[in-house]
Amino acid sequence: MQSFEELALPLLDSLYQYAWWLTRNPTEAEDLVQEAMLKGLRGFGGFIAGSNIRAWMFRILRNTFLTSRSGLRAVAPLSLDDETRFTEEIADSATPESHLLQRADAAALRRAIEELPVEFREVLLLSDMEEMSYKEIAETLSIPIGTVTSRLMRARRKIRKAFSRQP
Amino acid sequence: MIDRHWSDEEIEQFADGEGSRGEDHLRECAQCANAVLAVTQMKRAVHDAMDVGAAPASLRARWTKHSSQQSALPWWVAAAAMIAAIVISSAVLLRKPSQPALPELADMHVTILASGNPVDVVSTDRHTVKPWFEGRVPFAVPVPDLSSTPFRVIGGRVVYWHGNQAAYLLIGKSAHRISVFVFRQETAPTTLGQSPTTVSTLSWRDRGLMFVAVADVPPSDLAALRDAFEHQ
Repeated sequence: MQSFEELALPLLDSLYQYAWWLTRNPTEAEDLVQEAMLKGLRGFGGFIAGSNIRAWMFRILRNTFLTSRSGLRAVAPLSLDDETRFTEEIADSATPESHLLQRADAAALRRAIEELPVEFREVLLLSDMEEMSYKEIAETLSIPIGTVTSRLMRARRKIRKAFSRQP
Repeated sequence: MIDRHWSDEEIEQFADGEGSRGEDHLRECAQCANAVLAVTQMKRAVHDAMDVGAAPASLRARWTKHSSQQSALPWWVAAAAMIAAIVISSAVLLRKPSQPALPELADMHVTILASGNPVDVVSTDRHTVKPWFEGRVPFAVPVPDLSSTPFRVIGGRVVYWHGNQAAYLLIGKSAHRISVFVFRQETAPTTLGQSPTTVSTLSWRDRGLMFVAVADVPPSDLAALRDAFEHQ
C-alpha cells in the first residue's frame, strides 16, 4: 500500500489550481490545500486502495471549502428552478463561440470565468483543465451525470454570452 | 444523404469525448463539424485561461518535509533523494514535449475547407484582406502581392491557437486550396512535430511572425508560396 504522500503529492498542483478557482485568491487557496491535505492524511485509513485518489482528494478539498467562511458566502444553493430553466435557455445558443472567442484574449476569458458562480467555475476546471470524464466529475461533485452535462453547457453558454456582450 | 444535425448537447458531448455519436456524420456535415471545432477551441481556450500555475513552493516544501520526517532514513539519503528529485524534475520539465502542432493545424485546414464559409473576409484584393485583420489580431498580417504568381488570395479569417488569436489566409492555386496560418512569434506553436502524410506542410519565420502553410499540393508549391510571402 502506497503512503498518503506518495499518492497525494503528485496531485498538489491540481489541488492548488482547484483551490484557486474555488477561492479566487492565492493565499486562501494555499491554506485550503494545506487543510485538505491534513484532512486527507488523517482520513487516509478510509481511502480504498486502488480507487480514484484524485476524485477523493478533490472531494475533501471541496468539502473543506464549502464549510469554510468564504465557501459559505460563495455558494448560494442552485435552486431546482434554475436547473430546469436550462432547457429553454439553451434553445437559442446557435452563435458559434469560436467567432466570439477569437476576439478575446486569454486574460479577458479568465476574467469572464472568474465572474461565473462557483458551480460553473469548478465544472469547467474539472472538464477542461483536469480533463475528467463526466463520470469522474459526477463522482467528485456528488451529482448525477445528467447534471454534469447540463451544468457544463450552461457554463459555456454563460461564457459565450459574456463575450457576445463585448464590443 | 446527411442525417439530422446534432443537438447542442450532442456536439458538446462529442467535444468532451463523451456521448454515443460516432464521427461519421461529421465527415459529411460541415455545420456540425464546425460546431464541434468551435467547442474544442473553446475548451482549449478555457484550459489556457484557467492555468494559474504550480502550487507555491512553500506548500510543496511542507509536504515534502513531512514525508521525509516520517521515514527513518539518514539525513544524507533524504538529501541525496531530494537533489535527485530536483534534477529529474527539471530534466523532465526541459524535455516535456508540447503537443505537436502540425497534426492539429492539418485538422483545422480540413475542417475549415469543409465548412460552408471557410473565410470571414472574401476578397482577392490584398488591400481589402490586410486591413480587415486590423483590430482583429494583435499584429499586422502580411498579405503578399500574388498577381505575378500562380497563386491568388481568396480571403481570411481569425483562428484561435491556445488562447491567442492567429490569422488564417486562404490561398488558391488553380483548383487547390492552401491554408496559411500566421502567428505572432511569442504565441506561435513551439513544437511542430511530424507533418501528417495526407497533406504537405511548410513553416517559416519572418519579421517576428511564424507562418505555417498546409495543403494537398506538392511541397514545391508551398516553397514557391513562401518565396512570394518573403519577397513582398
